[in-house]
Amino acid sequence: MAAAAIHAGGGLADHIHPEPQGFVRKYVFSIDHKIIGIQYMITAFLFMILGGMLAELIRVQLMKASGGLMTPETYNEVYSVHGSTMVWLVIIPLLTGGFGNLIFPVQIGARDVAFPWLNMLSFWLFPPAGLMLYASFLMGAPTAGWTEYPPMSLQGGAGTSMWAAAIFLIGVSSTMTGINFLVTILKMRAPGMTFTRMPLFVWGQFVTAPLLMIATTALGAALAALFVQRQFGVAFFDPTRGGSPLLWQHMFWFYSHPAVYIMILPAFGMISEILPTFSRKPIFGYKMIAFSSCAIAILGFMVWAHHMFTSGLAPALQLPFMVLTMLIAIPTGVKIFSWVTTLWGGVIHMTTSMMFAIGFLATFTLGGITGVFLAAVPFDLHAHGTYFIVAHLHYVLVGGSLMGILAGLFYWYPKMSGRLMNETLGKWAFWLFFIGFNGTFLPMHWLGMWGQPRRVAMYDPQFQAWNQVASYFSFVMTAALILVLVNALWSMRNGKRSGPNPWNARTLEWQIPSPMPYYNFKHVPSVFAAPYDFAEPLPYRGLEEELDGAPPPVPAAH
Amino acid sequence: MPENRDPVVHLDRQFWIVTAVLAVLALISILWWVWAPITSIMPEAVDKAQQIDALFRFLAASGTALFIFVCGYIVYFSLAFRRHAGTPDDAVGIQIHDNNKLETWWTIVPTVFVVIMAIFSLRIWYGIEVAPNNTLVVEAIGHQWYYTFRYPNVNGEISEMHLPLGQPVTLHVTSSDVIHSFWIPAMRLKADMVPGLINTFEFTPTRPGKYEIICTEFCGTLHGEMHSGTTQNPAYVYIDQPATYAAWYARTERQQIHASNAIAAPVSPNQLKLNGGDPKAGAKLFAAKCSACHAIGPFDQRIVGPGLRGVLNDPAHPQLVDGDKATPENVAKILENGFKGSIGQMPNQAANGLSNKDIVNLVAYLKTLK
Repeated sequence: MAAAAIHAGGGLADHIHPEPQGFVRKYVFSIDHKIIGIQYMITAFLFMILGGMLAELIRVQLMKASGGLMTPETYNEVYSVHGSTMVWLVIIPLLTGGFGNLIFPVQIGARDVAFPWLNMLSFWLFPPAGLMLYASFLMGAPTAGWTEYPPMSLQGGAGTSMWAAAIFLIGVSSTMTGINFLVTILKMRAPGMTFTRMPLFVWGQFVTAPLLMIATTALGAALAALFVQRQFGVAFFDPTRGGSPLLWQHMFWFYSHPAVYIMILPAFGMISEILPTFSRKPIFGYKMIAFSSCAIAILGFMVWAHHMFTSGLAPALQLPFMVLTMLIAIPTGVKIFSWVTTLWGGVIHMTTSMMFAIGFLATFTLGGITGVFLAAVPFDLHAHGTYFIVAHLHYVLVGGSLMGILAGLFYWYPKMSGRLMNETLGKWAFWLFFIGFNGTFLPMHWLGMWGQPRRVAMYDPQFQAWNQVASYFSFVMTAALILVLVNALWSMRNGKRSGPNPWNARTLEWQIPSPMPYYNFKHVPSVFAAPYDFAEPLPYRGLEEELDGAPPPVPAAH
Repeated sequence: MPENRDPVVHLDRQFWIVTAVLAVLALISILWWVWAPITSIMPEAVDKAQQIDALFRFLAASGTALFIFVCGYIVYFSLAFRRHAGTPDDAVGIQIHDNNKLETWWTIVPTVFVVIMAIFSLRIWYGIEVAPNNTLVVEAIGHQWYYTFRYPNVNGEISEMHLPLGQPVTLHVTSSDVIHSFWIPAMRLKADMVPGLINTFEFTPTRPGKYEIICTEFCGTLHGEMHSGTTQNPAYVYIDQPATYAAWYARTERQQIHASNAIAAPVSPNQLKLNGGDPKAGAKLFAAKCSACHAIGPFDQRIVGPGLRGVLNDPAHPQLVDGDKATPENVAKILENGFKGSIGQMPNQAANGLSNKDIVNLVAYLKTLK
């Protein structure tokens, strides 16, 4: 069959499995990457509501210097679960399992990922892991933050072990997703889809996948060690019995620094799709953007100890970590400059998606700049462990990753539902979000510089005014996110019908109907150029029948 | 993407005007950071603080300038190249893909900047990490949730930190329980206090005064109290004139001889007469000294240690943490000696500041909890 499969006109065999009927096989235990992607998104957005509620509890608590709402113990549980939720149950699943699954297989002209059943398993580990994390509240949730440094995490409630188990599980899920995506991109590209013709979102997933695969295993080992020490008393991290508290930090950050790039590289990919589409211009410096993603991913493995400049690193180790961290500024800068230049000379369609993408450029740039500050060891000695760090990490994770996700949501929503999200509501949401976000996190820079440590349930009264400002703006930001959610739910039934390609975009997912059919492509297309030349005809062959309403080819017999 | 396919680009006058405006704004921001009155908000108490502030001014100035250019161009391009009402749907932008010269420049300039920043940081870092000879060595120890200090030739741990003006100091920090951090914002320096590890930094005090010490590594329930603003054990470092320091040091040295004798000879448990304790006084003591870690609730209501409502009356938990039977005598023994084990630890009588009478009163109070 294989020999007959590759023919001149289109590409691989028109070998289409029949679409499963029946609700359970179609929507619950689905092996379709698009359904799994949507499942990831729905689950992650549900956890985002929970994590967001915890965030608001934090902000309400901090409106009073003496901490009005919760006991310190409860507060510690709240921010620990908030951080763990947002990192492992929201941002990573949305960017990889969610948007990754939904979009990149179509962008490379594949009918599914390489291992659809593994994909299903990846997803179905995710909700139980999340429920386990929240079940830890019933037995004394973890209190030592999302980083859970021992020996502190050894003192935490029984839920800390549950936390370790939950994160381990989500780590297994991530690892499998990484393997799956990497093999898919390496082996299942449509004919002619060379690496330099891949959309940049695919590039984002391509460099993220090895990070998921390699780094997450280090986290798994660390979590297993923590679990074993807590439950069975093996002294990995206990200095009085020959262990080392720093061992955890090294293992944890060996994962969690690459994880920072897991949480931003796919968002870079999204921005690289959205900016050219709405500027009607080729992305500026395609190769440099793709190459800089690789550079960031490789450097990302060599900088983990910059989280530990105050922890007690050998002085001779601080220097290479400092210099390597600073080097990351170079490829990141290249990306930002390329994106800004992409806007120049465009015909800019200011849609909600584009506004979020442009907002991303501004806020992520600020988060990146403060990141460079923190790379400088002497400055880090002052700022480490303060609200400056809280500001920096929220600028990259909310102002970066989440802004990217929201841009992507407005952009790809039609591919999920066949409808557009409401633009008026969307633009309101953007401005409320942008103002609310900056109002919340900008003051934290100087709060940290002036002396407010992070992870405190009460603080010096002199900081109360700025904390209240942050809290009030956080309500605005929350309102914006509720507005996005309402918009997404409302538009599912009432949104304007989008047609296959409402944005006039050029990557492959827009050349097939919305919502995307089960088999993606009736005939696998062949590709003969990169997708960003807006003045040229589309660089694909074999797509003629995709939109003509004809039935798909007869499913192959088995 | 072949370069020669791209149209030749001419930047118009408007672009250069905007660029000039942004350059002026960037220059103003640089001047602002050079001038910024940092010391009026946060004094610079040591030599390293001045150096770190200089680095911060450099970082902040270049960062702000860069941010102004990026955001300025974003806003300008977004407005200038916005699609107008009459633009046809299929209108496209200027189809450029690449510009090697431009891309080379925006790789080289940040690289140069990174090199400058690395050298600048390195020079300061070297001074912090590498101590000269003849420094005063002070040790700071973190506990849940207070700091103690050791000085050369002073017995035991004391609760105040004094430093002489102008004398180079090497600070060793460590911890007795979990990881804490030792941050003095006025010095712009911090080091984590890691159990089993000694971290070090070096500085010379340059400005007398009383400065706050803040814990910046999460260390348990009262982490947020581990600084001078709210804690019961205010954490300050005092930078004194050399003469004042010398007097303080001599006084402390004398006092600590006695203090350490008292700690060295604990009263054996059998000598404590436990009858006649005052439960009311015990209740007050409990609130002040114990309630941070122990709830007055059932055993499972754990803060750091277990809830103590049934400590002497709970058939489900007939043993204390050290395995002894839950009797008033054995509770008194733990109060005296403290406890250290894999599940946690509790400070001893001396560290908690309890007199024998206090212990008797506390036991009397615990008896009343049923």
